Amino acid sequence: MKIGLEMHFQLPTRSKLFCSCPTSAADPNHNICPVCLGYPGSRPSLNRKALEVGLSIARFLDCRIEERVWFSRKTYFYPDLAKNFQITQYESPLGTDGHFDLNGRRIGIWRVHLEEDPGRIKRVGRSGEEVSFVDYNRSGIPLVEIVTAPDMQSPAEARAFIDQLIIELRSLCDLDAQDEQKVRVDANISVGEERVEIKNVQGLRNVERALKFEAARQTKLLAAGKKVILETRRYDEERKVTTSAREKETEEDYGYIGEPDLGEFHIGQMAEELDLKETPLVRARRLMADHGINEVTAKQLVLTSSSLADMFELLCRSVSSEKAVTWTMGPISSNWSALQDHHELWSEVVAAVKADSDGEITDNEAKRRILSLAGVKQETAEAGDADLDHMISDFIDAHPEVLANYRKNVKAANTVIGHVMKESRGRYSSKDVVEEVRKELEKRV
Amino acid sequence: MSVPAPHELIRFAKERYHAFTEIAETFVDAEFHFSAKDNLCANGFQARAGSAILEGYVPPFDATPVHRLKTAGGQLVGKTTMDEFGFGTFCVNSAHGIPLNPFDIQRSCGGSSGGAGAAACLIPGHIALGVSTGGSISGPVSFCGVVGLSPTYGRVSRYGLIDYGNSLDKVGLLSRSATLVREHFQTIAGPDPKDPTSCAQPQLPTKGRMPDSLAVPKEALANLDPAVSKGFQEAVGRIQEMGVKVEEISMPSLRYAMPAYYILATSEASTNLARYCGMRFGRREEELNQHFNDFFSGVRSQSFGDEAKRRILLGTFCRMVGFRSRYYLKSLAVRQMLIEEYRKVFEDHQMVLTPTMPFLPPRFEDIRKMTPLEIYGADFLTIPPNLTGMPHVSLPCAYQQGLPVGMQLVSDHWREMDLLEMSSEWEGHFPYRFPEVGP
Ligand SMILES: [Zn+2]
Repeated sequence: MKIGLEMHFQLPTRSKLFCSCPTSAADPNHNICPVCLGYPGSRPSLNRKALEVGLSIARFLDCRIEERVWFSRKTYFYPDLAKNFQITQYESPLGTDGHFDLNGRRIGIWRVHLEEDPGRIKRVGRSGEEVSFVDYNRSGIPLVEIVTAPDMQSPAEARAFIDQLIIELRSLCDLDAQDEQKVRVDANISVGEERVEIKNVQGLRNVERALKFEAARQTKLLAAGKKVILETRRYDEERKVTTSAREKETEEDYGYIGEPDLGEFHIGQMAEELDLKETPLVRARRLMADHGINEVTAKQLVLTSSSLADMFELLCRSVSSEKAVTWTMGPISSNWSALQDHHELWSEVVAAVKADSDGEITDNEAKRRILSLAGVKQETAEAGDADLDHMISDFIDAHPEVLANYRKNVKAANTVIGHVMKESRGRYSSKDVVEEVRKELEKRV
Repeated sequence: MSVPAPHELIRFAKERYHAFTEIAETFVDAEFHFSAKDNLCANGFQARAGSAILEGYVPPFDATPVHRLKTAGGQLVGKTTMDEFGFGTFCVNSAHGIPLNPFDIQRSCGGSSGGAGAAACLIPGHIALGVSTGGSISGPVSFCGVVGLSPTYGRVSRYGLIDYGNSLDKVGLLSRSATLVREHFQTIAGPDPKDPTSCAQPQLPTKGRMPDSLAVPKEALANLDPAVSKGFQEAVGRIQEMGVKVEEISMPSLRYAMPAYYILATSEASTNLARYCGMRFGRREEELNQHFNDFFSGVRSQSFGDEAKRRILLGTFCRMVGFRSRYYLKSLAVRQMLIEEYRKVFEDHQMVLTPTMPFLPPRFEDIRKMTPLEIYGADFLTIPPNLTGMPHVSLPCAYQQGLPVGMQLVSDHWREMDLLEMSSEWEGHFPYRFPEVGP
């Protein structure tokens, strides 16, 4: 089975691709101007930020990048297409011939290009009396299209590909967090010789479902000795089936010409000078190679938070990678929310682990130090607050009846626990509070 | 005859000569009066580009050249008549009347900026914004006996211009004198972030240089009306008397310019015109309760003129699979070849000199007998500099049978000021005549 994907992601820019309208949500037809409505006399001018993000994606996917690029007009008539042509890239994409490594398999990337989104049509009213409204807020929203070679071998692999690509792009260029649901995909799939294109499937889950259905349909046809027809099909989200779209448009039918209003862009230097962030999965692979850790651990490290992976790498400079894994994934990870923003404490964490590793202190002592570092931070952050022990003894001192009640029923401890939890506003884990309260009460009983 | 007030002349130019499609309701005491071709957007005026499909379109913004002239103290007094979307050589393809030649109302003003040519001729001191794609300034300038500049592609912002062929369209100026053209050209030229193609230009020099040698391609002298030939030869004599050398040369690629131009221009036009579908702006009379394809086809069938339809078909054909590389891509190569040929000439000469139009302003009755191909052929001298994006002026150079003959000077990219220098110098040696008309 061969599967190839064409994915469209919205680029994270504040304004549209060719005008200064905002990309944020708004009431229908509020984020519009003469340019994105295609008014006669208006003219596009390229959003540099979109070009930059598009280029970093092309570079991240290891594409070949030409020195100059230009845009093209793809002409077709549709009510949501303001100019009845879409500005896209045809002969001159941002990048070609790249690849993405998916769980050790290399998936070819044919091209990466920029294009503008059309508007949206809403149909309102009962069947037979429907009225169509067009909302042009999305007209001109910048999209990047990524086209893969037909290198995926199953619907699950296609889904994993999109999933991992989104993780990477999210970190690379602040892609919208919702993109698993919003990603729009055209998928090619062939079980035998002939391929079928499923157009415009939205969301990760639907892509996998559509491909599964189509794989089964083609397999059944072939098993029955029938032929699969080369065609375009649509995925029906409700019925969870693909149906023939009965249209035969090929790319050439769009009568592409160059977009003369935008001219050429020399991007060689811009692409070279881009500072690419190390994305999570790339980093995971590097951690595996540099420190000999396994894939599960590496992914867990980078996907929890990139700063935890930073901590891990810091530890690796002082202790063995096994020790670093044990401590990072253990006590450090469980107290990470208190430590991650306090870089000044990191070296002390490292010192504690190193002392343990050198046999100078016990595991428990090292752990205690780390916990106290996490706690120390809280004390300095909210100076003037009594620490946990003080809060507990002060309350018991002030409420002698609690001790009396506790003697009759240990549940009386809950009064103290409740008070401390409230006072400390969740600064201490409930487990710690319960333990300390019991300890204090037992001491006094 | 007493001198009529400017606004009387403007009304007269509209009512008697159809030079304007719309004029201002009141005329203020401005620094100067100017007009804009109807494909340039301006607040408060319809911008219909000669087409019925844009009936009622009042753009919510000023085109940059309009804005700049207003800022310089000018009043926009009206929109001038044009061929629908610029598609024409004689300004007879307009939904809003046909402008009449001030030298002879039986004859054409030329196109597509025909109204601008008539206005420039009829109103002393008037400056008209015109637009040239393949000769739409030079043509009317020649037929109406005025001065016109089509600047280098990218010199004047096209923001607010209703497109014909975006890689060819240039906003320029028409007037009775080169001095006025120069003054206002300096106002409208210069980069504009709203038109990225205007942002790559070098700075406009404050003064131009007189050429010492002009080249006349012999290919341009074939197929001329004898009256034009005669007038042009007289002009060449005068230029030589001015101390400028004139040398005949050969430019064999000139003959490929016309087919290449029509392929590129119509390819671009057919995509530009796609947006006119009866939605969002302009005319909408079709019943809404039908399939979109039927709806927009209905609107377009009713509202586009024949020439617009012809060019949409031609352009769409050239873009289609199988023809794209044979026509569209090859034409891009021809354009490059022609630029190189001009450059070669510019190594030894500063400008290329030709007549502007191959014949005198034709009578409307004769135009009706011409085939589309014959009409396209009338542009064979104005198309080459337009295709290559080179600046050019057209100046009156002779009078034959009481009608003006125009000559065209082409220079290398960005050398408009040299052309205007030469134009001013020429005015000193050859006094222009204007027809005595008036309310
Ligand atoms: Zn906009």
